[in-house]
Amino acid sequence: MKFNSTRYLPLVVTVGQVVIFPYYIIWLKQVSLTFTLFAWFFAAFSFAAAWGYRIYQTKKNKERSLLFMIFVGMGVVYIVIGFIKNSYEYLPYVVLPLQVILGVLQGYFRAWHSEQDTYHLHAVHHYMIVGFMMIGFSFVKIISPVVFITIFGALLCICGVWEFFRIGKLSVPKKV
Amino acid sequence: MDSITKLVKNPWFLGCLVIIFMAVVMWNIPIEKRKYGLSQGSLVTDYTGLLPEHIERVVTAENRNDLQRIVKQANENGQKISIAGLQHSQGGHTYYKNGVVLDMRTFNRILDIDEQEKTIRVEAGATWEDVQEAIQPHGLALKVTQSQSIFTIGGSLSVNAHGRDIRFGSMAETVKEITLLTPEGEIKKVNRDDSDEWMKYVFGGYGLFGVILDVRLELTDNDLYTIHTEKLKTNEYASYFNRVLKQPDTAMHYARVSVAPSSFLDEMVVINYDHTENTDHKSVLKKEEGVRISKMALDAGRKGGTLENLFWAAQKRYIASLNRKEITRNNAMRSESTFMEYTKPGRVEVLQEFFVPVDSYDEYLTDLKDIIPANDKRHDFKVHNITVRYAAKDNFTTLNYAKEDMLGLVVLIQHGLKEEDITNAESLIQSWTNLTLEHGGTYYLPYYRYQTKEQFKSSYPNWQDFQEEKLRKDPNHVFQNMFYEYYVK
Ligand SMILES: Cc1cc2nc3c(=O)[nH]c(=O)nc-3n(C[C@H](O)[C@H](O)[C@H](O)COP(=O)(O)OP(=O)(O)OC[C@H]3O[C@@H](n4cnc5c(N)ncnc54)[C@H](O)[C@@H]3O)c2cc1C
Repeated sequence: MKFNSTRYLPLVVTVGQVVIFPYYIIWLKQVSLTFTLFAWFFAAFSFAAAWGYRIYQTKKNKERSLLFMIFVGMGVVYIVIGFIKNSYEYLPYVVLPLQVILGVLQGYFRAWHSEQDTYHLHAVHHYMIVGFMMIGFSFVKIISPVVFITIFGALLCICGVWEFFRIGKLSVPKKV
Repeated sequence: MDSITKLVKNPWFLGCLVIIFMAVVMWNIPIEKRKYGLSQGSLVTDYTGLLPEHIERVVTAENRNDLQRIVKQANENGQKISIAGLQHSQGGHTYYKNGVVLDMRTFNRILDIDEQEKTIRVEAGATWEDVQEAIQPHGLALKVTQSQSIFTIGGSLSVNAHGRDIRFGSMAETVKEITLLTPEGEIKKVNRDDSDEWMKYVFGGYGLFGVILDVRLELTDNDLYTIHTEKLKTNEYASYFNRVLKQPDTAMHYARVSVAPSSFLDEMVVINYDHTENTDHKSVLKKEEGVRISKMALDAGRKGGTLENLFWAAQKRYIASLNRKEITRNNAMRSESTFMEYTKPGRVEVLQEFFVPVDSYDEYLTDLKDIIPANDKRHDFKVHNITVRYAAKDNFTTLNYAKEDMLGLVVLIQHGLKEEDITNAESLIQSWTNLTLEHGGTYYLPYYRYQTKEQFKSSYPNWQDFQEEKLRKDPNHVFQNMFYEYYVK
């Protein structure tokens, strides 16, 4: 079986996103001063994801989806989160744009993914994998959520680089 | 219709919505408030968090009979009681090791407003804000308060606070009568003619002479003022201020001294509130305005160096922009406070206030330059702001900081929390206090006790009278706090 981005990278990214979600939420709650702000951060993410989704939907040249940039972009955001000092007073002002960037990138990626043949298969697989992974993680004592977030960021960057080198070599099978 | 659908389908439509939403959220990100007080886990603190201490319990003050019972019990079983208002004091004035804390914040009803007599009777846990809301519709205003309205009346009288007013004397002088729960558990009405001289010790008594239950305060009209601002050289200020005092037009006054490196202690801006012929019955109490911008500017100033120069330039410009504007007395007494919040871990921001006789002011500031560096960018101990206010001679209270007409320099200081940083801050503030004493001055007691006991005794020569009266009026030492333990006990 050939390893191509349509087969495995989206699965890695989707599973990763869901697995990292609880850790991300813990971090986001820690850096939001109030529940209201936490909810607003989420709303901003959600609106931005809708925007990202729409950007891909209306994109003309879908073959040039620049997926590697999306992966690297998301990876960089997670790594930045890992390196921000939690005690920084102006943190909410940094978190908000990060939420928006992440939202746009995730929305874009989701729109791309949903147009791939493997999307439905991945949906089933990712639920299963996430379930098993979360059981596994339940035995890991969280030192700090940012450790996991940073590791995931690095993984996304590797996916991005992988995708970059793969571009041009393989063609992406499209849904009919 | 078609064009609307087309517009909505354009991804930039969603993009714009996201950007607008982001801007709205940015604008509404709350300012992080410092965490302090009676509910911070097992240890209580006050405003700066510098003196965490374990206490036995907090009693929420609800009715006077319960409070009386608690005080009587304490006389029998040796329990120690402290009193807390909004805990803006900074030296453990509101709690004591393993003691009971009476949380007065819920004891805050307005009992009576007499429009003819111009007085209000109010429970001592009420804030100035509560009082202002009650008296504003009657066209009335307070005579003396701090610059902000975020303090309780009991807490303010117990430090005999002062503010921008320059006509009505000390805060203690604006009180007609109080109801006091004495250290032995008696509830009594006390006025200025009282032969036991309770007021002399309760005002500026830091909660050591019983609980102020309610207060009848004198009020004045909610006059409309015109703001008058001016830039001055520091050495012109004392004579300028003496002129202001002589002309009855000015009701309130304060000033700022530059702590920016380029004009350190050389430049000042003054702000006067001058009488118009009008009283205001209509305008509403102002809410906090421009907090975010002010905080950003102050944060820039906190960095020191060039940014502090810019901050001073911005302050001068802002203050100049107030010139000729009108403001009511009530509104002039409720400045913003949220922008001062400072929550950087490992550092603390504290207040200190030094009083010097009006005529010593110029020389004092010149000498101060030898103690505090003009550019504190690379220093741990940083001075961010100095505000100058007038404190009229007070012959009434025992621990009086204004033995003659004084100018009070309120100093906003920041330093680290490592042992060596605190020691350094202590040493600088002690030098500053010595300089103040050399110029016939004193320092204010509600703030953190960087000073030595000797400095306290020199600043407050009546301290022995205070101590003796404390033993007489509270023979079982029921009312205690960390301030008393450090300085007087
Ligand atoms: C940001 C800031 C700005 C300030 N500005 C000014 C200013 O402009 N002018 C000025 O003079 N001061 C100023 N202060 C100091 C302030 O006035 C005092 O700290 C004042 O005590 C605060 O009131 P509080 O309600 O927080 O009192 P608390 O800190 O709760 O209590 C202060 C003292 O009063 C006692 N006390 C409280 N309630 C009662 C009661 N009902 N009966 C008997 N004793 C009681 C307490 O035991 C304690 O000893 C400022 C402080 C801060 C933090």
